[in-house]
Amino acid sequence: MKYFIFRNYTIEPFFKDFEAEFSGYEDISVVPDADRYVWWYFAPYKINNQTAAGEIENYGNLLEFTFCKIDANKLVFVFTMQPIFCLNYQTKENTVNGAIINYNQKIRKLSEKYKNLKIVDFAEFVKMQGTVSLPLIDWKFYFFSQMPLNPKLANDFSHWFARQIETIELKRKKCIVLDLDNTLWGGILGEDGAEGIKIDETYPGNCFLFFQEYLLELVKNGIILTVCSKNNEQDVIDLWNDHPNLKIRKEQLAAWRINWNNKVENIREIAAELNIGLDSLVFVDDNPTERELVRQLLPQVETPDFPEKPYLFPEFVKMLTDRYFSIYEITKEDREKTQQYKENTERKQFESKFTNFDDYLRSLEIELTIENLSEMNIARFAQMTQKTNQFNLATKRYTESDLRDLDDNGAQIFGLRVKDRFGDNGLTGLLIITNYETAIDTFLLSCRILGKGIENVFLQYVLMRLKEQGMKTISAKYIKTLKNCQVENFYEQNGFILNNYTEEIKNYLLSLRDINYTISDIYKITEI
Amino acid sequence: MKEKIKEVMLRVFQLDEIPDNISQSNCTKWDSMNHLNLIVELEEEFDVSFEPEDIAEMKSLDLVENKLKSIH
Repeated sequence: MKYFIFRNYTIEPFFKDFEAEFSGYEDISVVPDADRYVWWYFAPYKINNQTAAGEIENYGNLLEFTFCKIDANKLVFVFTMQPIFCLNYQTKENTVNGAIINYNQKIRKLSEKYKNLKIVDFAEFVKMQGTVSLPLIDWKFYFFSQMPLNPKLANDFSHWFARQIETIELKRKKCIVLDLDNTLWGGILGEDGAEGIKIDETYPGNCFLFFQEYLLELVKNGIILTVCSKNNEQDVIDLWNDHPNLKIRKEQLAAWRINWNNKVENIREIAAELNIGLDSLVFVDDNPTERELVRQLLPQVETPDFPEKPYLFPEFVKMLTDRYFSIYEITKEDREKTQQYKENTERKQFESKFTNFDDYLRSLEIELTIENLSEMNIARFAQMTQKTNQFNLATKRYTESDLRDLDDNGAQIFGLRVKDRFGDNGLTGLLIITNYETAIDTFLLSCRILGKGIENVFLQYVLMRLKEQGMKTISAKYIKTLKNCQVENFYEQNGFILNNYTEEIKNYLLSLRDINYTISDIYKITEI
Repeated sequence: MKEKIKEVMLRVFQLDEIPDNISQSNCTKWDSMNHLNLIVELEEEFDVSFEPEDIAEMKSLDLVENKLKSIH
């Protein structure tokens, strides 16, 4: 991934870990070809505030001018400007700060207008430096080599910036696994009893209340909450039902394992039940022995240290958010995720009432909607390519601009919306057909809708549509990853002919003339 | 001390070996940006802080070593 960086100061050491080229200082004369662009201008460290403010205003104009020249399909990461060094000769004066505020407002407006302009909020990095002893500026390097930031912060910056890119690419952890005693409340339920545990408005109960409120907010932001605790399940269920102060009860949880079994096994079971990978989990437990066990046996699971004292929860939740759960923007599907996972559990219970599987499917009243790429769904389409691991035949990761490219090149992009009597799963499937060589480029489904034959109907419906359009043959690929072995034989099952294969890739062909699928009337299918 | 300096240079210049007579004039990797990187790494490795005058002078392995010895 090649980055080109527009800048007004010496910042090369901060991009050591990236393949990056740099503009001249304040040089916007050329826009060379690159995969991604960065715009990082600092407020000038000037003695005269009018001069500084004038330059800042000009930087905003330079950005607008330059941004227009960059390919609209390429991401441009624009840093917010921060007042790092300002001389306020008069307390009431606001010349430089005012100019910085205007500059930041301008880039935020641009980001609302142009989807490929993504904000990188440098204020977050500046705030983080409050927690380390290094000064933000080492003036020696400023005067010696025009460095606006202490070069010894380069490694911290590199990690931080890599995480910012992840949030823009919509990568984050999906699920948090929580212990109960001394994690969600103070004290031990089995010993102190429901009246003895600490969760109220006084210290230390207010710290745990703070943490529970945070977890509730995570749910609203689409993170799945689960519990893994050594306790008597009935005691906890009684507490959930009766304790007035709890914020997190069974309604907020997508799954729990409350028993005396090994936590490693319990965590494995939770991941399996929710159909998500272990590397999507963050495990939070106050007990260092349990944490160590999980670190040793489940290294894919993130296991952060737990705060030593309850009053340190704010720093802890800030760390959890920044490191694991923040994301550039949240889609509607994300927000409804816990609800959807719960609905799926209800569906599983419902299933046992039927002897005939088709009867069961029919009773679900499944409605499938197939929709083409649009500005309304492009963020979700890109997110599905980034996040779907298990039911994903080729596992190609796309950004919004990649999808626009495909669309411009004539690809047919079909999204699938799935609804049944228990609820709306939203956009949960994606099928991309390229046309320069008629091929299935991407076929994926979210795991939460599997087990109902939807994957077959979706594929077959689209293939029949292509046949009607007059296409003769279509090729397809299965590309093996660590996580997608469940779909290893999916194309065979749908009548594709295996053409050739290696360890990693299976290539298929299908003659559309030979197929004649009957789409079952179990599913109500509409196209929009 | 010389060996420790060489280790830092290996890392910064990404070379396989550092000749004893290395200097800014005979090493293409030792450009102004890497000079800065070298200074940053040396300051961290030896827990010292150079003055800009020192930085401008430290243009060969020998000169780097002399400077470090003089402030240690």
